[in-house]
Amino acid sequence: MKDNRWGFPDLGLGVGLRTTHYAHILSEKPDIGFFEILTENYLDTGGRPLFMLDQIAERYPTVMHGVSMSIGSTDPIDFDYLAKVKALAERTGSLWISDHICWTGVLGRNTHDLLPLPYTEETLVHSINRIKIVQEFLERPLVLENPSTYLEFADNDMTEWEFVVRLAEEADCGLLFDVNNVYVSAYNHGYDPVAYIDAIPADRVCQYHLAGHTNKGTHIIDTHSDHVVDPVWELFGHTIRNVGLRATLLEWDADIPPFEIVHREVLKAEGWRREEVADVA
Amino acid sequence: MSPERPGLARLQRWMQEVVVHPGAVEDAIEADDATRHITSGRLTDVVLPSHSMTAVERVGVYHGMYMMRMEEALETDYPVIRYHLGDHQFGHLVAEYVQRFPSTSYTLNRLGDHLPQFFVDEPEWPQAAFLYDLARLELAMTEVFDEEESPILGSEELEAVPPDAWETARLRPISAFRLLDFKHAVIPHLVAFHEDRPAPSPRRRASWVALYRRDYSVLRLELSRAEYDLLREIVAAAPLGDALAAAAASKSPRQQAKVFRWFRTWISEGLFTEIES
Repeated sequence: MKDNRWGFPDLGLGVGLRTTHYAHILSEKPDIGFFEILTENYLDTGGRPLFMLDQIAERYPTVMHGVSMSIGSTDPIDFDYLAKVKALAERTGSLWISDHICWTGVLGRNTHDLLPLPYTEETLVHSINRIKIVQEFLERPLVLENPSTYLEFADNDMTEWEFVVRLAEEADCGLLFDVNNVYVSAYNHGYDPVAYIDAIPADRVCQYHLAGHTNKGTHIIDTHSDHVVDPVWELFGHTIRNVGLRATLLEWDADIPPFEIVHREVLKAEGWRREEVADVA
Repeated sequence: MSPERPGLARLQRWMQEVVVHPGAVEDAIEADDATRHITSGRLTDVVLPSHSMTAVERVGVYHGMYMMRMEEALETDYPVIRYHLGDHQFGHLVAEYVQRFPSTSYTLNRLGDHLPQFFVDEPEWPQAAFLYDLARLELAMTEVFDEEESPILGSEELEAVPPDAWETARLRPISAFRLLDFKHAVIPHLVAFHEDRPAPSPRRRASWVALYRRDYSVLRLELSRAEYDLLREIVAAAPLGDALAAAAASKSPRQQAKVFRWFRTWISEGLFTEIES
């Protein structure tokens, strides 16, 4: 079985921790591998969210997933933010810290969107330098997610997967491989998602994401608002055959149904995982 | 790099200006804030069309999502204002507000911090004075929700204060406490929202409220002017003797009993964390 180079464990199946599920999780104590917490939701609060998180982190493994590191931005790195991220990781005992291959704002602004980067040599060098600084500050590898994107820049020097692979190798960081994002971006830009998956170095992958999306006909938006579609499950199967088993998380962030439905959705991944184990055996 | 090729910094500045523009995406691409970085005629040199969308439409996906995200975030912090204004007017408010006070934080939780100030700066906004009060109430509720947890002053600590030390003792409120005075009756609007009833017409009437958190829920005490004045003195660290004497100025047994009752309620509701005697 292939492993990641940091020995981050395969935590099995998990879901994103959402406030609407706090009461269910604490009362029913569902049998689940791990929870992924949205980093920024717990940075500036001493109230109920942190109180709930402390109880959940005592019982379950957690990993952190942020949206504001803005690793590709040309603004200065926000070390106050990073210090809070680091403190939260220590408080919760989170096994790794992830964010996205994107930028979220410049000139001191935050658009709170995961904006696309041009896949150029300039962007690559810039992002690699920043990742190295962030990793040194956090004293751990950063795990970065491939984004869903809705446009392509004309000046791209390379494909998205070439960019992602070089970024991970040259910055020596981990990857959170979002299978739905590959499907969404492949649809939007007309490339082959299998070629993307086949290019990903297994030893860099620390976690998988799965999610539902919204197909607008002309393009797909990564809404995290529905069940995972069959073609994404197929790509997930292809991914774990190529890369191996990793902590696998379902994201459901809009029109969030009861916990049991979200849980049942991620449990579908178990069939694909069993198949992979059987094949290897 | 070709001289025609925008560098990363210029590309990001251009894209941000387009994304945050309050008008249509076509206007955003033509606006001075964007064209100072990349002219509109060069759009297709920068962004590729897809098999089904033009370059403008593809940029428009990000542009459209920005305002939706801002609206969602502000609706989370200001549900009563949204309820009062309705979707259409609230959308206008958000568009104007984020132009004046864009997010500069890593968290959307801080996006709405300046809404009371917005209504001060924009007195011509319909019902601006009322909305200023409502915004202060909702902002304070968010702050109380997020404040650090404090230990609650218990009866043992109170009983340990020597009788002769009460005159000079000072009480410190919990972090999750806010004392507010309003020129308008805002609480009926909060209640109407929670009960899903039609919001009443704004009414100018002074009102006073203490917000606090207990068991991680935000609670409120509606106060009389006299209660507010006494509580304000106490949380401003006035010696208890002075504050209570001023409140029970008439020294009538009835007034003193009333002040004692207020004080007992505030203690039992857990408004204080410490007594310094």
